[in-house]
Amino acid sequence: MLKATLLHKTGPQIVQEIHACIGCNECLLVCPALAEPLTIDILNRETVGGHISPAVARFARSCTQCGACVAPCPVGLHRDAMMMWLKLRLWRSAQEN
Amino acid sequence: MLTSDTTRSSSPTALDKEKRGERGYPRFFFYPTGAWAFGFITTLLIIGGGGAFYVWYNRPGADTFPGSRVGLIYAVIATVFFVLAAVGFSLRRRSRKRAMGQLNASLNWHIFLAIMALAFAFFHALGHFAAISGTYALIGLLALSLSGMVGRVLDRVLPRMITAEMDAVLTAQGDDRGETLSQELQAIVTQHSLAVPSPQLLANQHAPVAPTGEALNVPWDLAYISLEPTQQELDRDAPHYRFIPDRKSALSRIDVLMPPAEKPMAEMRKMQQAMRREQRYRRLLRLWRTAHITLAIVAVGLIIYHLIYVGVLFLPGLMH
Repeated sequence: MLKATLLHKTGPQIVQEIHACIGCNECLLVCPALAEPLTIDILNRETVGGHISPAVARFARSCTQCGACVAPCPVGLHRDAMMMWLKLRLWRSAQEN
Repeated sequence: MLTSDTTRSSSPTALDKEKRGERGYPRFFFYPTGAWAFGFITTLLIIGGGGAFYVWYNRPGADTFPGSRVGLIYAVIATVFFVLAAVGFSLRRRSRKRAMGQLNASLNWHIFLAIMALAFAFFHALGHFAAISGTYALIGLLALSLSGMVGRVLDRVLPRMITAEMDAVLTAQGDDRGETLSQELQAIVTQHSLAVPSPQLLANQHAPVAPTGEALNVPWDLAYISLEPTQQELDRDAPHYRFIPDRKSALSRIDVLMPPAEKPMAEMRKMQQAMRREQRYRRLLRLWRTAHITLAIVAVGLIIYHLIYVGVLFLPGLMH
C-alpha cells in the first residue's frame, strides 16, 4: 500500500530547516544523484539565496526526489524539500530571463 | 569527472555566468562524469565483444543450442552481470563506508551491468525463443530493464514537473499562495458583510413609535416570540434535515454570490489543481520504485525457475 505523499515545504520552513542543519553530510553521502564532491555549507548557503554555482545547479537538477536523504538525517530534516526549493529557484531564474 | 569548471570559466560568457550564478532548469540535461564515461565504454566493449563472437559463432554447422558450451558460457556471464547489478547497488546503499558520489557511480554500474546482463541473456538464447522457462526468464529480465529505463526518464521528468506545480503554489517569497488568497478572500467577505445592512439596523428602520412619539427600540411583536428553541431548531441536526450541498449549483460557489471574490477563487482553484497534480507526480515516482523492485523479484524468481528447470533436465546428461 502506498503511503500518503508529503508535498513541498514553504520558503520560511526551508530556511528554518537549513538553520537547523548540523552539517554532518549524512544526506550527501547517501545521495545517489550526487556525482561530484560538494560541501554541505555551500549547498545550504546557495539553497537559501544568492547565486547558484554550477556544481550545486547540476546537483539540484539531477535530484530525483527519491527521499534517500531523509532517513539518515540525525536531526530529522528534509533535504529533499530543500533540493526542491533549489529546483524552484532555478526554475524561476529561467523565467526571469 | 565532470567537465572541469576551470576550462568552462576561461571564456567570457562562462565568467559572466559564474558571476550571476547558474540559471534555468532545462527539460533535457546530461552531466556525464568520468566514471560514467568509463562505465559506458566498458559496457560497449563487452557487449561488442560478446556480439562479435555471437555473429562469428552463428555459422552453419555450429551448435546453436542455448545448452551448448558457448550458450552456457553466455548464460554464466549473463547471470554474473545480473547478480552484480542486483546486489552491488543494494549493498552499496546499505554500506556504512561511504564517500560522496560513490553511490551515483554505483547506480551507473547498476544500469550498465543490467544492460550487459540483458544483452548476454539474448546471446545465450542463440535465437531460440520458444515458450520455455528460459524465454520467460529473458522476458522477465527485459521487463525489469525496461522498467529501469522508464524510471530513469521519470526521475528526470517528474521532479521538473513537480517544480512547475510548486511555482504555482508558492509566492515569490516562498509563502503558501493559498494562505495569501484565503486572507484576500476573508477581506472581501468582511467588506461584503459590512456593505449589507445588519438585521438590527433594518429592524430599527421600521421600529414602531410609542404613543408619546418616541421610537421603540424593540419591535412590539418580539414580546410574543418565545426564546425557547423551536422544534425546527431542535431538529436541525436530525439526519433528514441535514443539508446536502449541490456542488453543481452556481449558488454553491462563493464567487457567484460575491463578484469581487471571483478572481481569488479562480486562483485558489488553479492552486488546488496544481497541488493535486504535484501529489499525483510524487505518487507516480514512488509507484515506479515499488514496481521496479517487484519486477526484480519476479525476474529473480523466473531465473531461479529456469536454472532449476535446465539443471534437472541437462545436469544428468552433462555428468555422464
